[in-house]
Amino acid sequence: MNDYRKAFDELSFSADFQERTADLLRQRARELEKERSNMTIGKIRKIAVLAAACIALLAVSVSAAMLWLTPAQVAEEHDQPLLAEAFEGPDAIEINETVESGDFSITLLGLVSGRNLDVLNEDLEKDHTYSVLALRRLDGEPLENETFDFSGYVMTPLVAGCSPAAVNNWTLSAFAQGFAKDGAYYYLLDTQSIEMFANHTVYMAFYEGFVPNSDTFTVADDGTIAFADDFTGVHALFTLPLDSAKADPAAAEAFLAEYDMGWNNERSEPEGEWDVERRETEDGEEIFLRPKGETGGESTPSGLESGDGGE
Amino acid sequence: MVPFGTDETISRIVSAYSDMLLRLACTRLGSAADAEDAVQEAFLRLLTARPVFRDQEHEKAWLIRTTLQRASDIRRRAEQRNVPLEDVTEPAAPESPGEELRSAVRALPEMYGAVIHLHYYEGYSIKEIAKLLGLPAATVGTRLARGRERLRQMLREDAV
Repeated sequence: MNDYRKAFDELSFSADFQERTADLLRQRARELEKERSNMTIGKIRKIAVLAAACIALLAVSVSAAMLWLTPAQVAEEHDQPLLAEAFEGPDAIEINETVESGDFSITLLGLVSGRNLDVLNEDLEKDHTYSVLALRRLDGEPLENETFDFSGYVMTPLVAGCSPAAVNNWTLSAFAQGFAKDGAYYYLLDTQSIEMFANHTVYMAFYEGFVPNSDTFTVADDGTIAFADDFTGVHALFTLPLDSAKADPAAAEAFLAEYDMGWNNERSEPEGEWDVERRETEDGEEIFLRPKGETGGESTPSGLESGDGGE
Repeated sequence: MVPFGTDETISRIVSAYSDMLLRLACTRLGSAADAEDAVQEAFLRLLTARPVFRDQEHEKAWLIRTTLQRASDIRRRAEQRNVPLEDVTEPAAPESPGEELRSAVRALPEMYGAVIHLHYYEGYSIKEIAKLLGLPAATVGTRLARGRERLRQMLREDAV
């Protein structure tokens, strides 16, 4: 194996590959930006159109809103043929529920759980859950890759009776991808399988924000999770019709033993009250919080550990 | 992280990852031109898929996985066009000892090639490869051991 590096060092590629590729990408980025600009100009022109015509246009867009890609088509768009097949198979759960929030209509199209559905991980030894959600603007304005800020929103499973801080995208090693097509924006979320929690109420939350916290969610005494009353961002909470027979309480318990740190509906400390110290650990990063201005002495671990959890 | 698409991020990403991804693609493709296509397609996908990365490790993992996927697609497309596999995986140049080894890597099942390369060329540990490929560490260890053994067998057979 000593010759391995030498063998691959011998390879030669085009001397201008990097320059050519960067130019190609910049050109494509500019084209996408131009398309976005043209779209904006078109939008301004539309404002001048007669009201009756506007109503007609709106009617068309509302009609179009009823037409979504199927979860299988979304998987195909991501070049995931095995997943596309699974979305058309007997284990797929079709949901098609829509919530309107803020300027958006949010539709959870469906999900499927299983193993070996990712072409990149043919023999992955873990079950995964793949969920597809679609967004449209209620005013009919198309969502586009170039203008929609995908990173401003979170799509995450939550489980009643479990802290939203314990069961969420970050602990379930989620990988989210999105794309716009025909004015709608589609999320494909890949998480560790959520079927182990199927004997609980399992939710799929979509909201404007970041990691689930008490500013966003409240947990009732009976474990029910809801958005905080004063949460003003775009949000939707769907209850997933999972088959409780697929629950794996032992696996769920082991998962929670690793991640559950409890939950408190009290609001998080105002920013600026704490100094944050991050330390690299073998498994990720350990975060220490210290009251602002306090120096020296041992820091008190917050109990938070942000391991990368992989894809 | 800064959205992909600005001049600055394009330069950073192309400069940081091109060499690694090109060689990685060559674990599945025998032609440098095909490897370049696979890597360009992976970069272009960043513009359209707009994945959200937690950090640079996540970004690297996404590019590695997407490049491997693109390389597999290019290989499959060639096979579907009934181009003989040798034309896809074998270069026109005369075979050198290095090419013999690269050819053996390409002949490995895909699940082994990437793990072997990330370990022996890029120097990643089993745990790091597990994170990059989204696989359990035990699976990576098994693939590494089996891939290495198959590689040894193939190279021994070629020597006979």
